[in-house]
Amino acid sequence: MERRPTWLTLVMYVGAGLLAGLAIGPGLFLCVVALQPAESAFFSIPTEPTGKNFSDAWTKGGLAGPMVNSVIVTLVRSVLNVVLAALAAYPLARMKFRGRGALFVIILATMMIPEQVIVVPMFRTIVQMGLVDTLIAVVLPFSVSAFGIYLCKQAFEQIPMSLEEAARIDGAGSLQIWWHVMLPLAAPTLATLALFSMIGAWSELLWPLIVLQSSDKYTLPVAVNQLLGQFADNPRLPYAAAVLTLIPIVAAFVGAQRFLKPQMFAGSVKG
Amino acid sequence: MRNTLGERWYTPWAYLMPAVCVLGVFFVVAMVQVGYYSLTRYTPFSAGGPEFVGLENYRRLMSSDRFWWCLLNSFLYLLVTPAIIALSLWAAMVVEAALRGTRRWLRVVLFLPVVTPTIVAAIAWQAALAERDGVINSVLRMVGMPGAPWLTEWPWTLGSAMLVTLWKGFGFYMMIFLAALLAVPRELKEAAYLDGAGRWGVFRHVVLPSIWPVVMLVFVISSIGALKVFEELYVTVKGAPVEDQTVVPLIYDTAFERGDYGLASAIGITLFLVILAFSLVNLRLSSRNARAGGA
Repeated sequence: MERRPTWLTLVMYVGAGLLAGLAIGPGLFLCVVALQPAESAFFSIPTEPTGKNFSDAWTKGGLAGPMVNSVIVTLVRSVLNVVLAALAAYPLARMKFRGRGALFVIILATMMIPEQVIVVPMFRTIVQMGLVDTLIAVVLPFSVSAFGIYLCKQAFEQIPMSLEEAARIDGAGSLQIWWHVMLPLAAPTLATLALFSMIGAWSELLWPLIVLQSSDKYTLPVAVNQLLGQFADNPRLPYAAAVLTLIPIVAAFVGAQRFLKPQMFAGSVKG
Repeated sequence: MRNTLGERWYTPWAYLMPAVCVLGVFFVVAMVQVGYYSLTRYTPFSAGGPEFVGLENYRRLMSSDRFWWCLLNSFLYLLVTPAIIALSLWAAMVVEAALRGTRRWLRVVLFLPVVTPTIVAAIAWQAALAERDGVINSVLRMVGMPGAPWLTEWPWTLGSAMLVTLWKGFGFYMMIFLAALLAVPRELKEAAYLDGAGRWGVFRHVVLPSIWPVVMLVFVISSIGALKVFEELYVTVKGAPVEDQTVVPLIYDTAFERGDYGLASAIGITLFLVILAFSLVNLRLSSRNARAGGA
């Protein structure tokens, strides 16, 4: 039996409290600052909370467009990430063809190429495709990832061959098997992949900063970055903008939290 | 050629095509391109495209103080990894020890910083780090220490960005550690308790050795992350001179503020080689791990 003295339980609770405070402190702080009327002291409990900073951020800061753009970019990018990775992983997991091993190694090797190193040729390619300053440019290079293909391949390999064979005897083609057998059985992995893609897409700053030029195309992080230091008459405005950027992704994450399993991270380490 | 599924030869490639095109064009070809660009004079206004100049860009780098400072800062930035390992391992242990009902929610709460966009985190931490009335300097002064110019002066600016990296990153590595901790066989720990080991003894002699490969992996992964840092610096210490920042902000500045694609590509190749060294260590560790069947 594991001994668990009371003082230790106490230490654990204190630790949990400290860590939780560290994790949600900055977010709460942003809310507190953003909810206060402009005149009151910067750091104090908001006794008369106001939504004015939020409406200012929304209208004067022009966040409506970026919010829509961010939602589009995030949704499209996560759907594409799941679909393209699941498509690519299917033959890698289940079909025999020449060059399969080599191809998988090359795909894994792309994980070692950091976006930060290749931004220049990536940008030049986008220029040559005539996609500069479009939302397509924001999504396209990150519409599939080697990590996603790896995750899906792992999940597909866990699915018993017999299910696939049964479907085949019933006359199903490979695409039908992919859709009716593989995808449903790998659903938890696909959901985790979608969640990771969403988190990544929502907060991405470097790449949109490079390819987007006009403010009506900005995603939220780029737009909020532009707001910083711009509104001297209301220093709370960036804080309200930050809260508005934070709420959707936190809501999505809390809604999808059951797909956050430590086991998925064990896999990410191996890759 | 027919395979086991009785498909035609091109069927697998049809499934693979979109992914192969995207990864091929934007990663594989781009990697080759960045190597070539690094040997050329290339600006947004180069009429005939990149013009081959041999190792000229690398020669310029060697004699550039800006580059050396940024590279040094990138290595200084690696100091964030021990802090990340300590904080995330501690968090994982706290979560593991938490009661069943609270465990999941604690995990979710501690993952929130990972979900938080860097720009949002940076705005909050900027306020906390403000020189005159920030929370951190106020606390420091309360305990009798002088405040620091966190947002304006090197090396404090570097420390501020590292703080954001630490805060935003520890939840991710916590999950990796948690997976490793949960995989430590219960019987092993119980046997050690029966042999009279204390909690520290069990941690030191049973838990730590079995998760050690994962500690090393987290060390490598978070080091690579630290070398790639951009957003934390770009937003948290906005306006700090580029030579006070790290290599990726230098790439951004060189390519997109100064329009020197050739030089930026040479910096990119240099960064790639440094990261590659870490990646190769990672690969060795992972394959050793996989063979040992651990983590």
